[in-house]
Amino acid sequence: MTNEFSESLEKKLEETTKLGLEVVKEAAEDRLMKLSVGPQHPGSGHFRFTIKVDGDYIVYCDPDPGYVHRGEEKMCEYRNFIQNIPHLERPVIHDSTNITYSYSLAVEELLGIDVPRRGQFIRAIASELNRQVYTLYWLAIYGIFLGHSTMFMWPAGDRELFIDLLTALTGARVTHAFNIPGGVRNDIPDGFKEKCLEYVNYFEKRLKEYENIFYNNPLFRQRTENVGILTKDDAINLGVTGSVLRASGVAYDVRKVEPYDVYNEIDFKVQYMKTCDSFARAYVPFLDMRESCHIIRQLLDKMPESGEVRMKLQSNPKGVPGEAYKRVESGRGALSYYIVSDGSSRPYRVKISVGSFRNILALPHLLVGSRLGDMPSIYWALNYWPVEADR
Amino acid sequence: MSSSIIKKTSTATGFIKAIESGSKHLIMKRFTLRFPEQKLKFVGDGYQFDPKRGVGIAGSRGRHILFHEKCTGCQLCAITCEGIAEAIEMVKVNEKWKQNKKSIMPQIDYGKCVFCGLCVDACPFYALYMTDDFELSSFTKEHLIYTPAQLAVKPKYDGTVEVKIDERGASHG
Amino acid sequence: MATAPKDFRFGNFVGSLVWLIFWIIVIVSLVGLPLIFIILFYIPLPYSNGEVITPYLFLSMIVDPTRTVPIIKFIIHTDFFRAAVFPGFAFAAMIAATTIFVERKFLAKMQLRTGPLYAGKIEGILQLIADGLKLISKEIIAPSGADKPIFWSTPVIFVATAAALTVLIPVAPGWVGADLDVGLLAIFAILGFFPLIALLFSWSSNSKYPFIGGLRALHQMIAFEIPFILSALSIVLLSGSLNLTDIVESQYSFWFFIIAPLSAFVFYISSLAELERVPFDLPEAESEIVAGWLTETSGMIYGLIQLGTYLKLYVLAALFVILFLGGWMGPQIFPQEIIPGYTGEKIYNATVVNGIFWFTLKTFGMIMLILLPRGINPRIRIDILLHTGWYKLIVLSFINMFIVLAMIYGGVITPGGLQ
Repeated sequence: MTNEFSESLEKKLEETTKLGLEVVKEAAEDRLMKLSVGPQHPGSGHFRFTIKVDGDYIVYCDPDPGYVHRGEEKMCEYRNFIQNIPHLERPVIHDSTNITYSYSLAVEELLGIDVPRRGQFIRAIASELNRQVYTLYWLAIYGIFLGHSTMFMWPAGDRELFIDLLTALTGARVTHAFNIPGGVRNDIPDGFKEKCLEYVNYFEKRLKEYENIFYNNPLFRQRTENVGILTKDDAINLGVTGSVLRASGVAYDVRKVEPYDVYNEIDFKVQYMKTCDSFARAYVPFLDMRESCHIIRQLLDKMPESGEVRMKLQSNPKGVPGEAYKRVESGRGALSYYIVSDGSSRPYRVKISVGSFRNILALPHLLVGSRLGDMPSIYWALNYWPVEADR
Repeated sequence: MSSSIIKKTSTATGFIKAIESGSKHLIMKRFTLRFPEQKLKFVGDGYQFDPKRGVGIAGSRGRHILFHEKCTGCQLCAITCEGIAEAIEMVKVNEKWKQNKKSIMPQIDYGKCVFCGLCVDACPFYALYMTDDFELSSFTKEHLIYTPAQLAVKPKYDGTVEVKIDERGASHG
Repeated sequence: MATAPKDFRFGNFVGSLVWLIFWIIVIVSLVGLPLIFIILFYIPLPYSNGEVITPYLFLSMIVDPTRTVPIIKFIIHTDFFRAAVFPGFAFAAMIAATTIFVERKFLAKMQLRTGPLYAGKIEGILQLIADGLKLISKEIIAPSGADKPIFWSTPVIFVATAAALTVLIPVAPGWVGADLDVGLLAIFAILGFFPLIALLFSWSSNSKYPFIGGLRALHQMIAFEIPFILSALSIVLLSGSLNLTDIVESQYSFWFFIIAPLSAFVFYISSLAELERVPFDLPEAESEIVAGWLTETSGMIYGLIQLGTYLKLYVLAALFVILFLGGWMGPQIFPQEIIPGYTGEKIYNATVVNGIFWFTLKTFGMIMLILLPRGINPRIRIDILLHTGWYKLIVLSFINMFIVLAMIYGGVITPGGLQ
């Protein structure tokens, strides 16, 4: 922990004492009310955190992940490289292309194979479409967390457009099992390109309506602006990633910093904001969605007309002894796999590092000193998906 | 790289814009898909796989269809499924086929299947494909287990509805 | 798919029916009828056209069409009918039921959904009946450690209090349950009970989330009570009366909305807060405190509280119409007589029907306005809410009150109209 970070923590403590709060001591426990948020609480998902409130202010927060731990990393050691695909997408079923993307990249490095160029483009398209699906889902929950029922229904409805595209592309609504070491499972179907362009163009128009009814709504801005400030230094020191990091003024996107597959040929901007508050954390994914539309259009434009999409592998590929580390930008930030192979057909060890788990570390830091009413807006703006963090 | 700053509007303008946006949607079409009456139209004829090229053919991944005249009883689909869902079991059938000496064919338990379609990828003889049919619910667990004879039947699926986009918004059908 | 049990025999079924009917006849004739006559003995029977209406006379009059009209006329002018049926509870409950259906469809339309669709042939119009049946048949769960007497009685008190409000609302000239000289004050006095009920219920359910919700409800209602009353005061100044009928009648030439738009705005915002509707639904904020003070409600307890809430919604919308939009005043569009040339006893009164029509129309418009923010706004935070209530709305209503006072003392208007 650096000096600046501890300084900022001290500043935060000072602020809370200025608000007339007592820092939790054993003697002061009586006046505090301990509230359990989750896992059977409408505002938490499969996740529990206990908070203590002094009047309307939160003075203590203890996140407690692990409710839906499934042992994905251990499960990987008992299956071969191909069989790992369907169960690895279970932690984030609505971002399933991205969570298998970096796995496939890492396995390809281990096996020493190249993906055909058209396959790389289809992968990127599926990844961007899935990012839209995830972000819309996240936005829908964010809307209903703040009591905005229309903002729940609109993204949930528009999400169906992208699900429709992905169903046409992969054959399944949410669990696609589409990326596979060596490429993608199948080529794009006929008429997909036109359909995709039509939907994306329509969706861009819908984004303006979101801005009108939600992001520019004075009540929404009152609730999120200057709430839960995560300064640039704190963000870097706490190790947050993805939209949370970008909302704190750090223009960091894995697609730009370490371009994988075809992303170095794509022209796009990393969206970031400098206000560091809940509003920025809510608005950056929205900007990402807009940018994603541009990326999808470019990908469709630059994709080679024909060619192989999948490297032909044997059904039970064996890796060379060694290790591989790859990461992609998922809906929640950097999502990386570290795979060690001992030369057999199964990985020796798989380590998954997800954005959710890194973002939740900022929760106690942000919640202490804020109001109870700010709890949902701070918590969900962290872009946290409990099931993914538990793995 | 760009830092995006959203324009700050006044309180009244914000409310008026929100009300305008909301009331604009009163005349837009409903997006809901009324499922049992309307069914989505899927691309293709179900997910299929071409072992020669090593590439799948895009299609919906519903329940399987098994071609008895092609199945050799090689068990590759069952072996693939072992590490995934353990849904496929090879069972004896009362049929005589020249290519299937052992007379065993896959039987699929849809209570366990995750519809990943990797068994289709594993089949080298074009014997196992997937279809559009996804309405498999039943009252008992036993009814979810599809025998080779049941798998051979081509399902009827009459999905006709597609997403339509016009000036009054997107809608189903 | 209903199937008969295995040991089903039709003879047994018919036998049980006959047995049931036999006992009903025995009990009615031996207990029911004597009881009715004993009760009738002590009740002073009403007069109509110089006759005492005994049950036998009543039956014969109903059968004779020429004598039915006076009976109906007599019944609809009793206080009981007014309180329980027409301007009172049943009418308000009908409007409340319509409101629930309209709200669901309206919100669904805005959110590109279909809303209720399958109960009833036309657009799910019977959904409310289905929901009501479901709520009635559900088990009511009282939390362990709950204060049982208070927990069970508060929902009933909630509905009763809301129903008491409906009696005070005049819907047409002369059609009001209780025409008090201090009608407006009475309404505010009864409204003051609701935070108390919410707090009682939340306290009695012995749970943390309801408790926080109850405290929030208390904060919110106290913060908005004052601008609420202040905004109505400028109308009292304009009309010179606290009687709701008088207030409506003083708007004969123009609506008070024209002179007191700021007050109307404050009144509208305050009634949203009073009703705990979005954006002021903090006491029921689900993502923060589960369901607020309604967390431990289940079955018909929830149903009763919802009924009370929607009755309140009707009352506040009606009050807005009475104070600012001229109540039942409107152009006469109904003909003076339905059957031309009929000179007998009449129930139909063109003025009253016209008044009811305009009043209901305006009230529905107002209800739609109250429903609208639910589609477009997120929830507000408690500190912003208190700030809005104490600082902004009070100031606004005072400004409008001073404008009204200046106009009255400047001689531009007098109580009762323009000079």
